[in-house]
Amino acid sequence: MGKLGFFRQHWRHIVLAFMALTLALTLANCGGASQQASTPTAGDAAAPAATGALVFGSNGQPVSLTPGNITDGNSLYVQQQIYNYLIGNKPGTTELAPELATEWSASEDGLTWTFKLREGVTFHDGTDLNADAVVFNVNRWWDPDFEYGYRAEGNLYEIWTDLFGGFKGDEASTLVDVQAVDDLTVEFKVAEPFAAFPAAISSAYFGIGSPTAMQKAGASYGSPSGAAVGTGPFVFKEWISGDRVTFTKFADYWEEGLPKVDELVISFVEDPAARLAQLRAGTLDFTVDLTPDQLPEIKSDANLEAIFRPSFNVGYLALNPSYEPLAKKEVRQAIAQAINKPEIVKAFWGDLGETDGHFVPPSLKEYSSGDVSDYKYDAAAAKQAIAEAGYPDGFTLDLWYMPVSRPYFPNPKPIAEAFAAELSQIGIQVNLQTKDWGAYLEDRNTAPGFQSFMLGWTGDYGDPDNFLYAHFGPGSTQDLGDYKNPQLFDLLNQARVASEPAEREKLYKQVDDLIFDEALRIPIVHSQPLLSQRTNISGWAPSPFSTEPFTAVEKS
Amino acid sequence: MGRYILRRLLQLVPVLLGISLLVFAFLHLIPGDPAVTMLGDRATPDAVEKLRERMGLNEPLPLQYLTFLGNLLRFDLGTSIFTGVPISKEILQRWPATFELSVVAMAIALVIGIPAGVVAAVRKNSLVDNLAMGGSLLGVSMPVYWLGLLLVYLFAVNLQWLPPSGRIGINASFAPITGFFLLDSLIQGDFKALGDVLSHLILPALTLSTIPLAILARITRSAMLEVLSQDYIRTARSKGLKEFWVIGKHALKNAMLPVVTIIGLEFGTLLGGAILTETIFSWPGIGSWIYGGILQRDYPVVQGGVVFVAFVFVLVNLIVDLSYAFLDPRIQYK
Repeated sequence: MGKLGFFRQHWRHIVLAFMALTLALTLANCGGASQQASTPTAGDAAAPAATGALVFGSNGQPVSLTPGNITDGNSLYVQQQIYNYLIGNKPGTTELAPELATEWSASEDGLTWTFKLREGVTFHDGTDLNADAVVFNVNRWWDPDFEYGYRAEGNLYEIWTDLFGGFKGDEASTLVDVQAVDDLTVEFKVAEPFAAFPAAISSAYFGIGSPTAMQKAGASYGSPSGAAVGTGPFVFKEWISGDRVTFTKFADYWEEGLPKVDELVISFVEDPAARLAQLRAGTLDFTVDLTPDQLPEIKSDANLEAIFRPSFNVGYLALNPSYEPLAKKEVRQAIAQAINKPEIVKAFWGDLGETDGHFVPPSLKEYSSGDVSDYKYDAAAAKQAIAEAGYPDGFTLDLWYMPVSRPYFPNPKPIAEAFAAELSQIGIQVNLQTKDWGAYLEDRNTAPGFQSFMLGWTGDYGDPDNFLYAHFGPGSTQDLGDYKNPQLFDLLNQARVASEPAEREKLYKQVDDLIFDEALRIPIVHSQPLLSQRTNISGWAPSPFSTEPFTAVEKS
Repeated sequence: MGRYILRRLLQLVPVLLGISLLVFAFLHLIPGDPAVTMLGDRATPDAVEKLRERMGLNEPLPLQYLTFLGNLLRFDLGTSIFTGVPISKEILQRWPATFELSVVAMAIALVIGIPAGVVAAVRKNSLVDNLAMGGSLLGVSMPVYWLGLLLVYLFAVNLQWLPPSGRIGINASFAPITGFFLLDSLIQGDFKALGDVLSHLILPALTLSTIPLAILARITRSAMLEVLSQDYIRTARSKGLKEFWVIGKHALKNAMLPVVTIIGLEFGTLLGGAILTETIFSWPGIGSWIYGGILQRDYPVVQGGVVFVAFVFVLVNLIVDLSYAFLDPRIQYK
């Protein structure tokens, strides 16, 4: 027997050891699980709604539920259900609408914005919504020294500086002061007139959270184990990591008769094919971020309805003038002329995209110049223009395409290949290039940058400033070899501070003319992201801004 | 024996060290700055710099690695850069999902794969053999992603017999205790939940089991064929033993050695998390989590996750090695 006898005696211990490991993991898990489980089972022994919870399929797990700290769509979709905003949007449009603020106005000199708050609104934890609560939230985003900002613990609020120039104390900060004038009045002082201020503060990043809950949860606020408390239509119940977030109806919601459903679930399904399969099987009620090639399948299923989100993006081809041949405007224009945009859009987007010569999307068409239509496709004329510009034999061009799919470029590589094929017709030899997405974004801004590249933009709020300043304004042209056009900068700055809507429209139309002529970022497409819902779902009005609250969504 | 186990456990140290070094090196070799990935398309260079500083990415690489190792020794796997959730907590939460799925998938593979292999060997070159081997060839070569979607379309979308995803129905009022839902529903005597959990398990487990099932069937068949030609089988038969016992006891037990090795390897692989299966079925396990970590350049998630998976893999194989002594008494551990 010997050694084997020992083994025969002890094998149980070995198996036991392994089982103990499993058990230990299990028990350790127990603590966390039972904590989480206690929430759902505690209060709502009552039967769930007859139709069951409304289930939304998002394309992944949120990063954080802390307002102003994150910009990804999966986080914002969850935040939209929990929080209200000072200003909202009319469902399905870019038009501003009263939400927590019932009215807002700028002073004569444009340097003070006054917001009147809605009366009688409470947060899910019973805290009153008042001017102090709003100031508390703004200070979290804006003031780096604010006690309850938890920046040392990792909150960054980076998006605040993107939209408002900088943090408190920064020279470029648009905001210089925020005060509670009385219980329901908040005053913002800005460094210089900023006409898009209400639009910017209405963006989906800046939900108003409960100061009580934020102080109590500290740095863990907004994480799966922390809290997330707003005044919005749904109360955050539970976030099961990697699986779903669940909500219950906020019984004291300020909008009469809303929300329509008692329970809401946001389920994380990363793969678009799996999302559609689950929608067809009925485990999801509605979902987003489907791919254009899934449209026929949606149409073939009588239980499903295809929905096109109003376009609020632009996919463009950037031509960097620091690369010698592209320094000449005529060459850039010839490239715009050599690409058959309508054909490409038809081939790659089908019904889900449109093309024109404007950088801003059609939903902001009041700011688009009537003189701009588009470069008409004409390869022969383009070839001649390039020859006349001093390149009778053409030239080589590095064209960078994105390694990831975005609504504005769902499959960048074949689209880039189509560009390359058309440019070869006029003697431009294209080398297609790509790299890791993080590196791509970084390197395009590192001098001398890419010679030409594909990229896009989805708007944050309904103002052309958000599209045009961010791509052609001072500090926004690193990826165009630090291109500086004083006339353009001047127009953009004037439009920023102008208070009269008519005046702003006029200025932005001039900008439109100018950037069309310069052909630096050639708008290829304004696409409509594809969504779908089951036919028993109604009341969903997808926002151009990519996320929206499900306040009015109903299931029958 | 005790000394053998101790030695094997000690061998874990260089193995894990090597793995941690490899993971660390590969992660940092991939181009792309996690700070940029995290801050998104609009990050200012200043913000990127601040975030890099906070994440410790500005330290020299060897120092970053040593910090990682030091924390590892204290069982501190760090926290996710993106969600701020401690890695160990996330592993504890997701491990039961992966473990449960792996066990069921492996059970399916064993229950079908081994008998199929045995029958194929006994009835060599018969129709059954050809069917079994043809089927297993199909099983090995079928892309998991495609098979998973196919099953979802057939059983969840068209026939509507089974749910397409998740671990339990969204409207189920079920409070997990251990995180192993099968066990939890049994403990609570909640048979409705048990049925719900089982129905959710079938499709992903079936998808996940195809490859190990096919491999097991093939290995069992070839091992059996070898054993069946041995003298002691002829002896067993000639002394009048029933064929069932000849095959079941004398042949199968002796053919199990290579089969068990494969079981161990395959089970270890399953426990590492089946990325594709977990993604298609929205299964909240280890695989889909590490995958997400790779996409986001969430260094701590990938490092911690892979080291954990490697640890489990090595452990499972240690247990397999120990089990050889049962199957073949000639094997001794020194």
